[in-house]
Amino acid sequence: MEVKILSEHYDKPSYKSLDGYKELGGYEDLAKALKMDPKQIVEDVKASGLRGRGGAGFPTGVKWGFLPENGEPRYLLCNADEGEPGTFKDRLMMEAAPHQLIEGMIISAFAIKSHKSYIYIRGEYNDSIRSLEKALAEAYKDGLLGKNILGSGFDHDMDIYVGAGAYICGEETAMISSLEGLKGQPKLKPPFPAIEGYLGKPTIVNNVESLASVKYIIRDGVEGYRKHGTEKSAGTKLFSVSGNVVKPGNYEIALGTSMKTLIMDIAGGMKPGRKLKAVIPGGSSTPILTADEAMSANMDYESIASFGSFLGSGAVIVLDDSNCMVDMLGILMHFYHHESCGQCTPCREGTGWLNKVVHAILKGEAREKDLELINGISNHMMGKTICALSDAAAMPALSFLQKFRDEFEYFIKEGQSKVRGVGYAQMHH
Amino acid sequence: MPKCTINGKEVEVKEGATIIEAFKTMSEDIAHYCWHPGLSIAGVCRLCMVDVEGARGPQIACNTVVKDGMVITNQSEQIKDIVRWGMDFHLINHPLDCPICDQAGECGLQEQYMKFGQYDPEMNQQKVKKRKVVDLGERVVLDSERCILCSRCVRFTDEVSKTNELGIFNRGDRSEVGTFKDKPLNNKYSINTVDICPVGALTSKDFRFRQRVWYLKNDDTVCNGCSTGCNVKAYFNEEGLFRVKPVYNEEVNGHWMCDDGRDIYKYVNKEHRLLKAKNNSGSQWSELTAGKAMQELHNSLFAEIKAAPEKTGVVLTGQYTNEEYQAVFATLKELGVTQAFHWNDTDSDDFDGLLIRGDKNPNTKGLQNAASAFGALKSVADAEAAIASGSLETVMVLAPENIAVYSNYDKTFAALSKAKNFVWFGANKTECFETTNSSNTWMIPIKSFVEKSGTFTNHAGLDQTFNYVTTVVAGALTMSEAMTLFKGETLEFDLRAKPMTSMKNNHFTLNRGEL
Amino acid sequence: MFKLSPAGEEFVKKELTRYETKRSAIIPCLFKVQEENKGWVSPEAVTYLSGLMDLPEAWVNEVLNFYTMFNKEPVGKLHVQVCCNISCCMNGARELTKHLKDTFNVKEGEVSADGNVTITRVECLGSCGTAPMMQVNDNYYENLTHESAVKTIKELM
Repeated sequence: MEVKILSEHYDKPSYKSLDGYKELGGYEDLAKALKMDPKQIVEDVKASGLRGRGGAGFPTGVKWGFLPENGEPRYLLCNADEGEPGTFKDRLMMEAAPHQLIEGMIISAFAIKSHKSYIYIRGEYNDSIRSLEKALAEAYKDGLLGKNILGSGFDHDMDIYVGAGAYICGEETAMISSLEGLKGQPKLKPPFPAIEGYLGKPTIVNNVESLASVKYIIRDGVEGYRKHGTEKSAGTKLFSVSGNVVKPGNYEIALGTSMKTLIMDIAGGMKPGRKLKAVIPGGSSTPILTADEAMSANMDYESIASFGSFLGSGAVIVLDDSNCMVDMLGILMHFYHHESCGQCTPCREGTGWLNKVVHAILKGEAREKDLELINGISNHMMGKTICALSDAAAMPALSFLQKFRDEFEYFIKEGQSKVRGVGYAQMHH
Repeated sequence: MPKCTINGKEVEVKEGATIIEAFKTMSEDIAHYCWHPGLSIAGVCRLCMVDVEGARGPQIACNTVVKDGMVITNQSEQIKDIVRWGMDFHLINHPLDCPICDQAGECGLQEQYMKFGQYDPEMNQQKVKKRKVVDLGERVVLDSERCILCSRCVRFTDEVSKTNELGIFNRGDRSEVGTFKDKPLNNKYSINTVDICPVGALTSKDFRFRQRVWYLKNDDTVCNGCSTGCNVKAYFNEEGLFRVKPVYNEEVNGHWMCDDGRDIYKYVNKEHRLLKAKNNSGSQWSELTAGKAMQELHNSLFAEIKAAPEKTGVVLTGQYTNEEYQAVFATLKELGVTQAFHWNDTDSDDFDGLLIRGDKNPNTKGLQNAASAFGALKSVADAEAAIASGSLETVMVLAPENIAVYSNYDKTFAALSKAKNFVWFGANKTECFETTNSSNTWMIPIKSFVEKSGTFTNHAGLDQTFNYVTTVVAGALTMSEAMTLFKGETLEFDLRAKPMTSMKNNHFTLNRGEL
Repeated sequence: MFKLSPAGEEFVKKELTRYETKRSAIIPCLFKVQEENKGWVSPEAVTYLSGLMDLPEAWVNEVLNFYTMFNKEPVGKLHVQVCCNISCCMNGARELTKHLKDTFNVKEGEVSADGNVTITRVECLGSCGTAPMMQVNDNYYENLTHESAVKTIKELM
């Protein structure tokens, strides 16, 4: 069952404008928050159990707590560089409810005492950019941004920065590099951004959905927010369901809802005559689940983790029995090869190597020992690099091979797909 | 000061030191390509992995600060496996063209492969094709396929030379180092990028294809290219010198040296040198050994000068050692000569903020110090005037060794050679020697800086003593030796070249300095 | 020799002071150059922009070559980018790309003979729930069929 907290008014076109947003209670929570002690907001966000909705699932309040307790200028960056294949929820949020994000951001900025924030939006999202530009102008005009917001004495400026096409910029330190005018390459940690981030200053990077959710923690209080979800996965979350389902789309559900409900009921289930084969539960980086695993998993961090995968960004990619897993892995390996920033050797070379080996299988040019090679390459890409892109490429490779090994072996032996009965040329076009 | 244990041995390091620095302090082996002590930390080659007890997983040593009590190893099977795969990742797109690569013998890839690799490569796919033989201007050539994208050269031009020419363009395994539109890398420090390139991607136009490095020995000395006095290593064999590289000295040059300094070896090699002493006391030249020449000079001039010292003067350049200046001034004192002149065509206080100084003499300061006990130095113009007026009849010249920076060399030679007795001490020969104006010209071959031991005092007053490196011109003398003979004393010295000592096993990879 | 319009130069000037560092202005300024240079950024334009911004060419070129939205080669009037990541491929994106290439008689990444169309496969554009989809210049077109895609492109020509 859908639980619409964030998305309650997403179907109303008026919600996009400041007036329409205010009519539905918009910016009331900001007014409430500005009367609170910023420290209390941080504590409330910690207590709410909100976890980063961009993919890593790190507790938002804890992240805020890493900021130094001093008067040093600090920045808040909103990560709107949604790029994880399968994910399209932030786009919906920015287009349907730009003020919801802005409100959540001002509250968050107030809590962490930041006077400047940027929304880093991927450049391809033109509609989101236009939507937020318009909303920011409205907010400035209405005194919701700038000096002395709502008479609170709190000053905050917000700007938009438009990316130019790089998946890696969704990694928080790569985003910082990009915002600084460098190539979007992740930075070495330590130091972590909360200590030395944008231009060496303390910086918090949060996902669109995380920041918007802060508004509802203020509105409903910790108890109210925790009404949905589980102990360790509190609240609701938007899930982007795509692939071979009848009704793909974004759905907000309470964390802990069963994946079966999400896929089979809410997203309309499989197309006629098709059977569920596998699910990638949290975006293309997360290890794939078999149909059996998927049908017994719940949509919360712990449940998915118990199957060796991740809830990630909430991108549920549903594959039915018409898909060739070798072909699918080929698509993913091409993607990671294309997107590796090239900085760390294991990732730069590993993503290219994996792509070549998987495509060698698809083209019927592989050796049987190449399957072990895929495992070897992947294992030595995991946890060896500055950021997680290397792991993100290795995890699908390892899990596809582990769970659908027969299809890979068949392809090597027969030079064609076990499922589709054809070779690469016919699948790839 | 935190203490930690590395591979079972305890070591104390400076506060804030990284694990890789601790390894270096102990001279413990650790694989790495991107880390360089003179540059910011990139942390991208991922080879310097270590196990730290209690850590979540393997850590990179270059970006992990030592904490008191840390127990660190890079000898575990896990780390060895990581390094072996790390090597493989570096090599899959590397052309493995060692037989035609100039870096062979001092290549980081070869070195690590011998230590951690030595396996059959798994890669059987086509390698990524990149550009080869990219001309980067006067001094540097790029081979993109050999590049392992450690980013050292880019960090050098960003952080040290601050010239920002280099970048890494594109991404993933299509990344290529280069300059925009292959514009020349003509900054004054460009060859440092060749030095710090751990592979054969950046090579020096001057050095490439001239010698295999395993046919070269090297030894430390001090650059004589300007008054900074960068510490350097000269690379040589029986055929002469082939290149110069910087040696770390925090006080003087850090890890670097300038491109002009790279050329100093050229004046040392035989083709530029005065090989024999020469005399022209009438209308033609005769050649003799330097020792014999000095003996003859003693016989013919020493008493004459002593009898009328006011008619004799010495012209000095700042290109000799303190020890030589002392010998010269002591001899002058004995003779009663009081006139000394300073010749310096490059007198300037210019400084580029990094290393290059306007005074192109390594030891102007040393000359001034030595002369202060002797009396005021007059200018070379004064000497020329005194010769022209006839008040100076005998002149001895300590000519510059690095003649490229002496813009008035020929003119000064011509003017000074108008003296009745003209004694020219110098390491080099040039065409101007053919037209001496003196009726009694002597030319004495002097040892170049790599052929002698001694001390230079740099611009800041720092005394830097250096040792003999090799012999290029067997018959040349130091000024001290020349003065001893001039005084009629005998000299215990061997005019033959010193035999080359045998090369140590794997000499070059052990001694080529910081990777 | 490429030069921005007066309005374009004014834009660059503003962007240079909009962020905390000048360098941050590289991306927006490259977009402006691309917009005024028929959809791509030439090496000459890099030199020009680096002079205008007073930043090293290597910095501008690094940024240019890192991001996929900057075209380093000329493109057609309509730059058709078909997402061929996993959810789109499951919904026929590769077949769609082939159909478009055949229909407009152009090879992938090249400019059609009439200069109108360039068709490229791209990675995830965040439209997975409305696959297959394409981006034509700045705009998204979603839930495509072979027919609707061709029709859309023809109408935009």
